[in-house]
Amino acid sequence: MLRIESITAGYNKSTALDRVSMTINQGTLVSVVGANGAGKSTLVNTISRMVPSYSGRILFEDRDITGLKPADVVDLGIVQVPEGRQLFAPLTVTENLRLGFHRLARRPDTAAKYAERLDYVMGLFPRLAERAGQRAGTMSGGEQQMLAVGRALMAEPRLLMLDEPSLGLAPMVVDQIFDILSTLRKDGLTILLVEQHADEALQLADYGYVMAVGQVRAEGPGNDLRTDPALTHSYLGKPTETA
Amino acid sequence: MMMKLSYLLLAGLTNGSVYGLIGLSLSIIYGSSRVINFAQGEFVMLGAMTAVMFLATLALPWPVALVLVAVVAIVAALGLDHGVYRPLVRRKAEPLTIMIGTLAAAIIIYGIALLVWGPEQKFVPPILSLAPIRFGFLMTNAQQLAIIAMFFGFLVATWFLLYRTRFGLSIRATGVNPRVALLMGIRSERIVQFSFMYSAFVSGMAGLMIGPLLGGQIGMGLLLTVKGFMAAILGGLGSPFAAAAGGLAIGLMEAFMAGYGTSLYAEPAIFVLILLVLIVRPYGLLGDYEAERR
Repeated sequence: MLRIESITAGYNKSTALDRVSMTINQGTLVSVVGANGAGKSTLVNTISRMVPSYSGRILFEDRDITGLKPADVVDLGIVQVPEGRQLFAPLTVTENLRLGFHRLARRPDTAAKYAERLDYVMGLFPRLAERAGQRAGTMSGGEQQMLAVGRALMAEPRLLMLDEPSLGLAPMVVDQIFDILSTLRKDGLTILLVEQHADEALQLADYGYVMAVGQVRAEGPGNDLRTDPALTHSYLGKPTETA
Repeated sequence: MMMKLSYLLLAGLTNGSVYGLIGLSLSIIYGSSRVINFAQGEFVMLGAMTAVMFLATLALPWPVALVLVAVVAIVAALGLDHGVYRPLVRRKAEPLTIMIGTLAAAIIIYGIALLVWGPEQKFVPPILSLAPIRFGFLMTNAQQLAIIAMFFGFLVATWFLLYRTRFGLSIRATGVNPRVALLMGIRSERIVQFSFMYSAFVSGMAGLMIGPLLGGQIGMGLLLTVKGFMAAILGGLGSPFAAAAGGLAIGLMEAFMAGYGTSLYAEPAIFVLILLVLIVRPYGLLGDYEAERR
């Protein structure tokens, strides 16, 4: 579904991604793990076209998207949950969800579609229904992350990208978020998950990539990477609890 | 005594309405682009001067003139967007650089107006009557009342636009966090273009209405930009409604200081007051801006 071919990208002429190639197949969950500064967020933002690329191609269903603007990428159905949640804090939960729906707002059947998406998201996150009128910024970290995921799901994404969804959350909340991702994957959604919590992310993944200093250092089925002692030692920072 | 008070009150509210509408315009543009549009007062000037052209020189019926004034203001706004804002944004200019660009645009608009209308003050024909109307000790005229009504009309319209429409939600989201708005698929260039057009329309209409009371002169734009800016700073640049309220406050202060003190000190006194307010409340009196609470 998404094929990244030797992409080099970065901010202000620096190189944060160095000839990175990846493939994400339809209906799979791909995790990209690595330490802070490995280029994981740059990867997500390069796909979203928030960061310019210098060379290489990104093909979404065989179409090169490197020439597109960020809004065009969203129109195609590539939607990200940005790092640090990035909600519209002074706006209400409902308003945030409505903004997530922007991609579908010009469809002729938009009202029915909105109701359908809202139902779906509220079904996944019943807490959001309770908080509908509340300002997003006043919710707890976990609720905010749920809203950030819910907001992205309102767009009915074809490829959902999550940038460090566990960042700054309590372990119990992290588990909840990963449970939801597991559910979404079972529902057939294609997901690109970028995470520092390598163990959980790879456990969930069909396929994984390990990144360091802007390059892909290893790839393989999630569980193989997770249990590879050399990898966990050199790139993933700490020994895995289950090893 | 009451007569003078009521006269000053109405004069203050009338001028304040215009300052407030400029403040509201500045705030809407600031919200979507983080740019202070130094050419905002020029839209008011264009409103007044084209009113002279369409109502007096060409003697068109007022509904036609009104539409044409709006068209001129909106075309000028599109020129500002495509000629200054977009080229600078595409070259990754900082908001401060773009502000200097709007200042350049103001000088260019002034220059063109000088060629078209010359430096003399012109009489702007009023759409409504300037004949005095009396309610007890309150003395006013239809034009004055229409300006104050227009002020509240635009407040309601702006509120409706921002809080009751999908497009308004996109405008507010862009104001809170332009980067994330982009990630929702919102095209920020369209939002900015709309805010230039809407604010030019508001300011052009303000010019059309206040022209008969202030007199039309091509130099009026700069002073009005300053007054509108003061309004926005005093009320709070972050909220169009706070900026509008700031305009009323400045109009009233100006009128009362001129009426009970001397007009010579009115402006410095207002500046000192604004300075004091800002020391205590850096975001303005009502400034509790959405973006500042991120």
